[in-house]
Amino acid sequence: MKIFFATDIHGSEVCWRKFLNSAAFYKADLVVLGGDVTGKAMVPITAYNGYWMVTVRGETQRLETKAELDEVMTKIRNSGFYPAIVSQEELTHLGENEGAVDRRFSEEMISSLDRWLDMADGKLRGGQIPCILNGGNDDIFEIDNIIESSPCVSFGEGKLLDLDGFSLVSMGWTNPTPWDTYREAPEEELAAKIEAVAGLVPDMGRAIFNFHAPPYGTGLDEAPALDENLRPMHGGVVMKPVGSVAVRDAILKHQPLLSVHGHIHESRAIKKMNRTLAINPGSVYGDGILQGAVIDLDVKKAKVSRYLLVNG
Amino acid sequence: MATESIGETPTLFLRKATGLVRGWSVRDSIIYACLATNFLTLGIYEFTFAGPAFPQGQFITSIIISAILVSFLVIAYSGLIVTIPRAGGDYVWQTRILGSGIGFVMAATGWWFILWLWAPIYGNILSVILFQPLWATLGDPSGAVWFTSKTGIFVVCLITIAIAGILVSLGMAGYARIQKWCFYGGLVFFGVVVVLLLINSHASFVSSFNLEGQKIFGVHNAYAATNAAAKKAGYSTYNMGFGPIGPTMLLVPAMMFFILWPNWGSTLYGEIRGASDFKRVFTGMFTGLWITVLLTIVFLLLVDKTIGWAFYQNLNSLDYNLTPQFGIWPYPFLFAGWLVHNTVFQVILILGLSLWFIGWVGTLFLSSTRVIFAAAFDRVLPDRAAEVSEKRKVPFYSLILMLLPAAGLSAVYAYSLTFRNYTLDATLVIAVTYLFSAIAVVILPWRKPDLWAASPASRIKVAGIPLVPLAGWVTIALLVFDLFEWFHNSLYFVNNRDSLYFMGAMYVLAIIVYVWARLVRRSQGIDLGLINKEIPVE
Repeated sequence: MKIFFATDIHGSEVCWRKFLNSAAFYKADLVVLGGDVTGKAMVPITAYNGYWMVTVRGETQRLETKAELDEVMTKIRNSGFYPAIVSQEELTHLGENEGAVDRRFSEEMISSLDRWLDMADGKLRGGQIPCILNGGNDDIFEIDNIIESSPCVSFGEGKLLDLDGFSLVSMGWTNPTPWDTYREAPEEELAAKIEAVAGLVPDMGRAIFNFHAPPYGTGLDEAPALDENLRPMHGGVVMKPVGSVAVRDAILKHQPLLSVHGHIHESRAIKKMNRTLAINPGSVYGDGILQGAVIDLDVKKAKVSRYLLVNG
Repeated sequence: MATESIGETPTLFLRKATGLVRGWSVRDSIIYACLATNFLTLGIYEFTFAGPAFPQGQFITSIIISAILVSFLVIAYSGLIVTIPRAGGDYVWQTRILGSGIGFVMAATGWWFILWLWAPIYGNILSVILFQPLWATLGDPSGAVWFTSKTGIFVVCLITIAIAGILVSLGMAGYARIQKWCFYGGLVFFGVVVVLLLINSHASFVSSFNLEGQKIFGVHNAYAATNAAAKKAGYSTYNMGFGPIGPTMLLVPAMMFFILWPNWGSTLYGEIRGASDFKRVFTGMFTGLWITVLLTIVFLLLVDKTIGWAFYQNLNSLDYNLTPQFGIWPYPFLFAGWLVHNTVFQVILILGLSLWFIGWVGTLFLSSTRVIFAAAFDRVLPDRAAEVSEKRKVPFYSLILMLLPAAGLSAVYAYSLTFRNYTLDATLVIAVTYLFSAIAVVILPWRKPDLWAASPASRIKVAGIPLVPLAGWVTIALLVFDLFEWFHNSLYFVNNRDSLYFMGAMYVLAIIVYVWARLVRRSQGIDLGLINKEIPVE
């Protein structure tokens, strides 16, 4: 059985489209997206009478036609941002009101995800290619029900999914970060969440852990060391482990066959942890490249027979 | 939640999410670029060779020309960094833009294999800036001369490899702190040298040189003896000035030995990138480069004023002809320290001026381990190459892949005088890697149009022409000129048969490793060709 695993696409529409095509491209039997599906930034496009104004990466553009508008919106979506068409009054209101921005963000995230799931229906042949999605620490909770209700994808969080005799359990929560994001919990709580899903697994020799947080100190969790102002220290050359101790302990305790992770984009790496193969394919979603792992599982022997990190 | 604005108009809203980091301090980046273009070690080491090899060439002019041209390399690399801001550097850029095979061969040769040769070169530098002057100053000139022997050089090479290995084992966080202290410390001690050369006259230097030369080495009237020996050897010096341009241009490929590296460690983090990122990356490398140039020019002008340019070049020429005046390398900072007739001061000065060596030597192996890791994750190298020890987090196997060949090559370097001449091979092979990155910059807009269009680098234009690819062309011109001279002109000592075999063997080895990996992985059912193949979007 061949699995394609990717993670942390953060609203990049080009990466989502590639993800939907990945099963056919890599001849995978199923595809898994490990969390952090939603974007981090929203670009306001101000509507005027007969034209639009937008600033993308410091460059202000006046858009005269609908075609120009569509082109810019596609570029914005491809880089993982949400284009938000607003009136002048709305823009002023957003600039002065954090709550309004949060609400608009949620609207854009939800409508974007709805659109993505519609695309998935066609690409995944109406659910014939199994596709598992999960939330990550950066994803708002509202997306859970939307994914859950999709007919062509499965929502993985807290469940055991049977994949041709292999058991996949998922958890999108992480240990605390400096950004205080949505699905963060102290290590003890995280350990309890992990035990709750790990307890569902009948045979760890055929288990796949799909935990968003990478295991601590394994090379899968190396992020730039930051100072108190969230500024990378020493010119950005110093990395430090920021993964989860609870995840590491759970892997070492249960020894699943495979453990796939994300969260730390810079830390594309593979680590053999006793019997477990742990993988973080990393993410460069902003470049429009879908990093992932192509993993072959031997159904009879219950082992990882092949794996390759790819930059699709 | 955060908002970016132009004036009072919001242009971007950010929500709370992981990884929204602020830009790193440009000052840190400047320090890194200064240490990489390490004037206090690489620079003055190179001058001993460059002066006698090209006596008509003008140092200051050549350094300025070199730095102007390398500034275009800085622009080109800044473009790559803000377009594909990955820590893997040349390996990632070249594999993504030019293809996996080219990327691996260029990164393996330029960032791994050739650093085996940099280990003994660094060892020799440690010998000449620390052990030789220190032993001499402590009253053991014959001990100092021992460090110039084959065994002496080999021992210091092993010490260098051990120091670098220990520094790598500390981890980058610990080492980065040491680097910063070393940078400021080295700068303070260089400041002491500047003051000494500034406040003392040429006459007092001559007097001090004669006094300490007699006291330490037993050489009578050492200043006049040096000039006489150089004259007897047929060496003619030229005054410091600004012409002629031909021989001065020939100094440019020699100056690359220290001035080509401002881009060594620069990287970028954060996902919300804008035009300011290019400026930040560029400013760090560019300022570091030109601080090096400034320090060098200050030093050279003070040499001219106090030591005497002709005398300095005479000292270098004697070493170049393997007859150094005192039997050891003519370390100009040692002679500057002689202006103060106090052994303790002289020892402290020597130790202090070696800080930039300590501050940079660890990076030698760290850079290699990164490439080895990246290649292992790409399954080109065995998985074990990327393993890190559980307890101390030491990249054990990748260090072995660096340390053992480096130690072996150190032995060859120490015991073969011919091989020691291939110093510029170390620059040449990395220059070839840079050349391919420059080619990647030039073709980036065609090879990856979407990536280029989304990059802040694409919006930086001069007279309507995108600056980054243009800078790529200038970089290609610089590197092709350097390569032509290195391969064409025997004065650089790298265009002989054995040197070419040595360098060629590195490329053959890299190609063999890559082809072997493709075949082995294919037999395992793994297609390495898939690694960088893009998934269609539609």
